[in-house]
Amino acid sequence: MSDQRIFTRYKANEIRSELQIVDVKKIKSGVAKKKNALRKIIANLTLGNYSEMLLLLPEILKFWKIEDDMEVKRICHEYIRTIGSIKPRSTVESLPFILNDLRSRNEKVQIMALETLVSIPFSKFSEEAFDFIIHLTNKKTVPEQLMKNAIYSLVQLDDYDHERVMSLLNLLYDIVNHQIEKPTIQIAALNALCMIHDVDGNSQPVHISVETAFNILELLPTLNEWDSATLLEILPITVVPQTHDNAYDMIDMVLPHLQHVNSAVSLSALKMVLYLLNYIEEVNQTIIKRLSNSVIALLEKPAELQFLVLRNVILLLLSRDQSLLKFDVPYFFIEYNDPIYIKDTKLECLYLLSNEGTLPQILDELEEHATDIDIQMSRKAVRAIGNLAVKLGESSAGKCVDILLHLLEFGVDYVIQEIISVFRNILRKYPKDFKNDVKTLVKYVDYAQDTESRNAMIWIITHYSDILPDYLTLFETFCTNVLNESPEVQFSVLTSSIKFFVRYPSIETEKLCICLLRECTEDANNPDLRSRAFMYWRLLSLAREDGSNVTNEILKDIVDGELPKIELNTKLDPIVLEELELNVGSITSIYLKPTSQIFRMSSLKSLPNSPVLNSDKSLLNVIDDLRSIGISNSNDRLNGKNHNSNKNNNPVVHTMSDFDKPAEKVNHLKGSRKSSISSPSKLARKPSMLMRKLTLKKKF
Amino acid sequence: MSSILYILNENLEPLISRNIRALPSTDLPIAQFKKLYHPGSPPVIRGNHDTFEYMYQGFSYVYIRRDSLFFVSLVDNTVDIMETLHYLEQFYLLLKNYFTVKVLDKNLILDNPILVMELLDESIDFGFIQVTDAGLIKDYIRVKTNVPEIDEKNKRLQLGGVKNQSEFDDEDDMFGSESDEGRKKVQKQRRKLKHRHKSTTKRELGHLTKKVVQTWKRDQKKKGTFGNNDNDHDGHIEGGDNDDELDDTFMNSDIAKTTVMAISWRTKGIHYAKNEFYLDVVEKIEYYMDYDSQTVRKNTIHGQIVCKSFLSGMPELHVSINKILNKDKQFLSSCKFHQCVSLESIEEGKEITFIPPDGDFILCSYELKRHVRDQPIIKLNKFELKQKLNKFKLQIHCSVESHFKPTNVTSKLNLQIPLKQLFQKYQIDLSKNIKSKCDEGKVLFNVSDDFLLWEIGAMKGGHGENQLSMVVEFALFNQEEYDRKQEELRTSMNPPPLVEGIKLEEIYQQIHGDDHDVTKETPAQDKRELEKTQLLHINFEIPYSTLSGINIEYLKIEEPQLQYQSFPWVRYKAINDEEYAYAI
Repeated sequence: MSDQRIFTRYKANEIRSELQIVDVKKIKSGVAKKKNALRKIIANLTLGNYSEMLLLLPEILKFWKIEDDMEVKRICHEYIRTIGSIKPRSTVESLPFILNDLRSRNEKVQIMALETLVSIPFSKFSEEAFDFIIHLTNKKTVPEQLMKNAIYSLVQLDDYDHERVMSLLNLLYDIVNHQIEKPTIQIAALNALCMIHDVDGNSQPVHISVETAFNILELLPTLNEWDSATLLEILPITVVPQTHDNAYDMIDMVLPHLQHVNSAVSLSALKMVLYLLNYIEEVNQTIIKRLSNSVIALLEKPAELQFLVLRNVILLLLSRDQSLLKFDVPYFFIEYNDPIYIKDTKLECLYLLSNEGTLPQILDELEEHATDIDIQMSRKAVRAIGNLAVKLGESSAGKCVDILLHLLEFGVDYVIQEIISVFRNILRKYPKDFKNDVKTLVKYVDYAQDTESRNAMIWIITHYSDILPDYLTLFETFCTNVLNESPEVQFSVLTSSIKFFVRYPSIETEKLCICLLRECTEDANNPDLRSRAFMYWRLLSLAREDGSNVTNEILKDIVDGELPKIELNTKLDPIVLEELELNVGSITSIYLKPTSQIFRMSSLKSLPNSPVLNSDKSLLNVIDDLRSIGISNSNDRLNGKNHNSNKNNNPVVHTMSDFDKPAEKVNHLKGSRKSSISSPSKLARKPSMLMRKLTLKKKF
Repeated sequence: MSSILYILNENLEPLISRNIRALPSTDLPIAQFKKLYHPGSPPVIRGNHDTFEYMYQGFSYVYIRRDSLFFVSLVDNTVDIMETLHYLEQFYLLLKNYFTVKVLDKNLILDNPILVMELLDESIDFGFIQVTDAGLIKDYIRVKTNVPEIDEKNKRLQLGGVKNQSEFDDEDDMFGSESDEGRKKVQKQRRKLKHRHKSTTKRELGHLTKKVVQTWKRDQKKKGTFGNNDNDHDGHIEGGDNDDELDDTFMNSDIAKTTVMAISWRTKGIHYAKNEFYLDVVEKIEYYMDYDSQTVRKNTIHGQIVCKSFLSGMPELHVSINKILNKDKQFLSSCKFHQCVSLESIEEGKEITFIPPDGDFILCSYELKRHVRDQPIIKLNKFELKQKLNKFKLQIHCSVESHFKPTNVTSKLNLQIPLKQLFQKYQIDLSKNIKSKCDEGKVLFNVSDDFLLWEIGAMKGGHGENQLSMVVEFALFNQEEYDRKQEELRTSMNPPPLVEGIKLEEIYQQIHGDDHDVTKETPAQDKRELEKTQLLHINFEIPYSTLSGINIEYLKIEEPQLQYQSFPWVRYKAINDEEYAYAI
């Protein structure tokens, strides 16, 4: 333990005095003390005490002159780097020392010096760095590590002087194409090339020939884990297979790496194989099994890695038809100690994996979670059950509804609220099938406390008033305190009262309607509510007038028209999907949105053209036995169908904040209108949003 | 590509930051991170557009939380997140390995800023990850770690624990918990097992220290190998701890090149006097069964092949595993191999070929799901509560049977029977003796944590024919008798009878006095929590046995240049995973 704490703020003078202790007798302890003082400088830089530490520059330079110790050197470099990135000009004095280190015999010192040169955004320093790199390339034998560093420093230098780096790119191309250097240097060169091209908006993405690609892939077994990961990460797009055989051979070379212990390697390998699948005609069943297995094996990793894998599972499930990856549902069952973000993502996976066959299993699991002690979790589980009912056909919906009704008896308020909310969606999809259950549901009217469930309840009561004899009494519970409700509820109360009046003109309904209209026009503070109330009022009085052409029929049509069926759409636009698939493992895969939406400046990735590129993903056949070249025609017909359903969708516009919600949308009434940017998509699939769309011009 | 790396403490204040891409400020992004982070947010957080300075647009935070520290990387959009996450994870492991601790804390980081900085530098260059293998970096960066002083013995123990984690962990833990329990526990048994118990602990202790000393020696030996490269350092080998200080600036010049060579995980010029290679197949078995409904929830094997290599030169090893020979599909698909394994060799389906790294490594890990109906290795076949209310007695009957090769014997077998429920449900009179009877081993009662521990020790294998059973009898509180005795006490002239030994009921009161109120106040206890208190855990260890039937057919060591004699050791072991339990 150090006698004095290093990590506390010091004044420049204190450290200076410590550095100046000259004790001839105890040289050794003196050195240790000085080192300690130097450490304090670095600690203070980490703490952000820049201005004080800047004063110590002369001392540092003095040490630099005399010391040979590696740690002192390291501290000096670290000091210059930190100060340099904040105040580049002040460090010019140190330049000669850095250059001196650069000429050192010790490779490690050279690397350190080069890194320091590169990390200071000042022309004098970068000039020297360029000179050194050019000098290196002219030399015959350069230590590999130094060469590697030099190559990577080009990427950093690209930020300062793009033109000059571009002129050096040929060197990198030579390294990649001629294979003279050590494998790891080739990878570094290739990586640097890609990075520089990526940043530059104008230039084409890097391409390497198939032959070079094969040569590099041959190196794979000899590379270290991170290099393999980098290579497999870069290769998609940079290399374009020209024949089917090219692609098959590449897949064969990459496949073993799916089993690498480093998850970065195995995920990159997965990405590479997925990319290559676009260039082959048919795929062997065993390959698919191996892909699926590698994904499952990745789920064993720590939570953070698991999260990323799960996001990518969603992507894969969305992008291809079920045939490409086969997962067992139980892998995605939620464990109670999962962090909340894993639980969310797993629910989404379950939702996407659901079909007639797996439904009972999934429903069992969800039902268990619905009674979970964790409020958020149980709400989400209930919501998922509701979504499943809407997604799958009528017979499955029946099962879901049974479970929901069963859960109602559970009697916990938040579960009931959530059930009421999802029930509305189910009723929108199957207006007739569950009529009988409405009566049971309405018994729980008092539980509806939050905005969404109140809204849903009002809608359900209004829509099924013909089978509810006491609809007015039920409805009046919502009317008593309209002004204190949230705006959404106010709107639906108002609309519903008008609907009742138009549907069953009687004294009670009229009274209720007039009373609400008066309250909304006279007492309400919300201008939107006021103007809506006025609009209804005028409409009603217009209908009352003799001789006006607004008959009761027309009025009914306006106020109480047919609502379109609700549909959940999980398909994304094929172009977006293509890009997403090329971004497996990157940030895009987490948000499941095209890169251009997340990062404004980035360019779009797309599959490069080649004679063997599959025009449509669904054209890929899955065969059971080993490769056979003939295409089985029977599958084509089937695939053609899938294809059509994909193409017709409009690109889905998603907002930034909703990455944790399933990508779904409601078919809009007026097709062209997109959901407003600020609303999370959760709202977009609820009827209440539709209601707002019909009635509201501006959002609050 | 990572642009800035941070290590933060639990309050999200930076302990270490490394500005890789020379961004103008390291404070600004972290202030932003503080705002964006909330507990439970996913490991990737997007930088906020609106409030962020232009310079930082398009950046995201990738973080992991380990121990009490946050490892955060500020990344731009070109990054492969998987790579970054995996790197952070590896870096955490690297630090742990460097400090040889099981749990990192902020003080360790604060005491060794330069070392951490250096490790960061070495493992990542300009945001490109270079190498994260602790074995390699350890040879490269030889700075003395500034860890809190512990007395030498402890340090050794700790060192041994970390070094051979897979092997010693359980022994270590068992040992620790035993001595702990020894303090708290009141032993109740009929046989003379007390004595035997003592002797076993002693033996174990001896065993353990012997092993630790061995590893310590090995470490020394390893250091010696570097010493051989440079004669000056030969003298320091005996010096123990202190030679680290002198080794400060010394490094193996070969290693600098290792990272860029084709075989990046092994340095040249390693030499051992005796060439040994240890290969341990360890299978952890996870099992979870609801005893009442007899439904099995989990039945999986987590297997690992753990190796320790003390081989000179560049040896090539060939290992043949029966599972690979037989093309066991489940095994092949779930198996993940160390980077040294040439994955092509597995494709051919014969053997695993590899050049091992020096020291400890995990050759491969696999996971096998077992069928629900497959018998668990140790099966609880009877668990019953019998209450004899007229006699005010409560009996727990329990019996287990073994399902593994009859030739094998467990080296350790403990059953932990929860009693919390029981104590809540019945009024148990602890002032009367608890009686127990078992076929084998001894039964202990843990007062503080409310469980019975049935230590069986050695149990023979078999296929259901080998059964051991145990009965424990608790006395229930008898109001009538109590009243009568009180009455007697008051009326009789005799002094109250002398109670010998420990007064269990008082100890129990002491420990649980406060809890009772707490549990009453929070009736809405988590369902899972409740379930946890009803788990009957079984801890066991069976040497020379694997449940999956994995078998090493042969292990060949070849070193074409040195041609030395070598000693391969292969061991098997099946142990319980954290969760091997019955819900009762």
